[in-house]
Amino acid sequence: MIIQINNLSKKYQNHTALSNINLDIPSGIIFGLLGPNGAGKTSLIRILTQITEADSGTIHLDGTLLNRSHVQAMGYLPEERGLYKKMQVADQLLYLAELKGLSNKEARQRLKYWVDKFEIKTWLGKKVEELSKGMQQKIQFIGTVLHEPKLIILDEPFSGFDPINAQILTEEILALKEKGATIIFSTHRMDSVELLCDKIALINLSEKVLDGAVPQLKEQYKKNQFEVQFEGELILNHQLFNLEKSDEKHGVKKISISTLQKISNKEIISTLLQSDINLLSFKEELPSMEEIFIEAVNQKNNLQDAK
Amino acid sequence: MLNKIFLIAKREFLTRIKKKSFLVMTLVSPLLILLFYGLIFYFTVNKSIGEEVKNIAIIDESEVLQQNLESTKTTLFTFVSVAPDKINDLLSEASNYYAVLNIQKNSKGEISYQLLAKDQPSIGMVSSIEDKIAAKLKDFQLQQKGIDKELLNQINSTQVNIETKKLTDKGFEEGNAGLTTIIGFAGAILIYFFIFLYGVQVMRGVIEEKTNRIVEVIVSSVKPFELMMGKISGIALVGLTQFLIWVGLVAALSGPVSGLVMQMMDVNPTEIGSMAQDAASKDTSKMGSLFAGLANLNVPLIVGLFLFYFIAGYLFYGALFAAIGSAVDNETDTQQFMLPVTMPLVFSFVLAQTIVTQDPNSTLSIWLSMIPFSSPIIMMVRLPFGIPTIQIIASMAFMIAGFVFTVWFAGRIYRIGILTYGKKPSYKELFKWLFQKN
Repeated sequence: MIIQINNLSKKYQNHTALSNINLDIPSGIIFGLLGPNGAGKTSLIRILTQITEADSGTIHLDGTLLNRSHVQAMGYLPEERGLYKKMQVADQLLYLAELKGLSNKEARQRLKYWVDKFEIKTWLGKKVEELSKGMQQKIQFIGTVLHEPKLIILDEPFSGFDPINAQILTEEILALKEKGATIIFSTHRMDSVELLCDKIALINLSEKVLDGAVPQLKEQYKKNQFEVQFEGELILNHQLFNLEKSDEKHGVKKISISTLQKISNKEIISTLLQSDINLLSFKEELPSMEEIFIEAVNQKNNLQDAK
Repeated sequence: MLNKIFLIAKREFLTRIKKKSFLVMTLVSPLLILLFYGLIFYFTVNKSIGEEVKNIAIIDESEVLQQNLESTKTTLFTFVSVAPDKINDLLSEASNYYAVLNIQKNSKGEISYQLLAKDQPSIGMVSSIEDKIAAKLKDFQLQQKGIDKELLNQINSTQVNIETKKLTDKGFEEGNAGLTTIIGFAGAILIYFFIFLYGVQVMRGVIEEKTNRIVEVIVSSVKPFELMMGKISGIALVGLTQFLIWVGLVAALSGPVSGLVMQMMDVNPTEIGSMAQDAASKDTSKMGSLFAGLANLNVPLIVGLFLFYFIAGYLFYGALFAAIGSAVDNETDTQQFMLPVTMPLVFSFVLAQTIVTQDPNSTLSIWLSMIPFSSPIIMMVRLPFGIPTIQIIASMAFMIAGFVFTVWFAGRIYRIGILTYGKKPSYKELFKWLFQKN
């Protein structure tokens, strides 16, 4: 575990930002911190980056209690991006790296790598305000990782990126993970990170709703629902299935069915094929992250109501 | 911690002095100052510039001036004799007379003077004619009464000069109030402007970082307090650099530039020299007392106190300006918070020129030189009149305590302010920030 969070709470004057958060983040993965706006994601990140302090609870990084020396181990890309507009790109990046504790010489060497990678040699002497927004985003990303932190925290990293740059960023994030960095990824657009994240935690109204590995969560929250496409007349066995949705286009019928009890896929298909149909496709419908979130929040509310 | 403050200060310093505006401000403003004083000097020496020579006709029926009034550079007097109804002809378009001075004596023997001009004559011109006539009349009277003019001048130039000495440990020492007053005032003015100009720059810098949103990245690497102190000290270095360049430039350029100005003015340097000598010889005793006791001037004390209050005063106010910058999102919102910070500064600057100079050792003056809000300026002004050592120590102690307090105070507001966006906070909220947990 690179990060262990125990019973973390933070209150602001008028509201609770975090209450009793417990979270473990294994090393070397991409971890998604998901939740709607105002759930407490940024509060948690600001405590991790030691911009603010928690009211109670502890955070351990690599087994030691979080302290100022950990600042160098982290790279943080805040949701609201910003650079010194009048400063030259190279000066700016070196400055950010030096603030993290790198010597000027070291910072220069590491900058070379990124200059080649992003082919930005011609930008180095330019002032930030002369660059396009997409370029500025790249510079800011380099600034976040130039000191080679082992924990990279990205708050809404894709906001404001066009699809091409978003793709480049995705590749870079995966490359950093390959090199052994741990990446914490915070966003309110839950579906956007399903493919990227190894593990996630869902936060709502200052509380952790659930966490776990993405495939396991999907498995856990799946409703045994299947999408079937076929031609012909299907007689549905209503003792086994519930019809959720049906649709027809150009003679091809598309239905969603859910099973009333646990049965294997093989059994479902053979039951379906008892009708005289030409089966075109059969696939299990897994819940989206958003659906899981809504489901989990509802469950939690019901639980609290019951109490 | 010091390492990070140094890094931040270095960036502030380098980015600011690399700016074109710094170069322009630093190089152009001493030239402007020199040009400004050059022009004032030029116009003072050549008063006649821009004034054309005016012809004035004098009709003196009373004969009080005995047909004799010396012309000046700008006014030529001509005595004429015309019938009263022909006066208008003298002022016709074709005539080159600008005005007619009509002097008449009535039946009771009273003399009246009337200046009839083509347009409204300037007050300066009227009074210069008045002075000339009055002097002439005075001379006539002196002659009539048989008094020698030279003798009278001699009597009139009687002067009394009081030499001041103050009691010190070494007995009576010659005072040096004149020069130190000038030095003290210069110091006070420098401190005042330095605090104002660079304090506002600190505030702008903080707002800039906040609106740029870079601040969140920076405070994930350094503590807000380090960022604030780095910024304040970096800007202080910019100010000191600019100040030193100015001192150097003014010293290096004032010689050649004034030479150039003189050449432009086509003034013979020896003439100026003799003018200066005249002025000096008239006032030797005064000038003497101005520089009297130069040897007694406590240079280390003056320089030391100046540097101390220069830096401490700037830190004291600079921290407050940083706090203001952190509390708001844009410069227009600063007005409300600026007032309580700038008021004591302006207030002490005004008091320094009035109450404190008149009575530098009054209770009020002493108190003002103890309160850190006013002491940097007031102490400079009190300096020439001698300040008891115990008061200097007390004032410096209060000053140090003062800036430690404002730096703490500003740091508390700053750490919350830089991450708070949106509505401008109220004073009540700012107060809450002081004690809010990080």
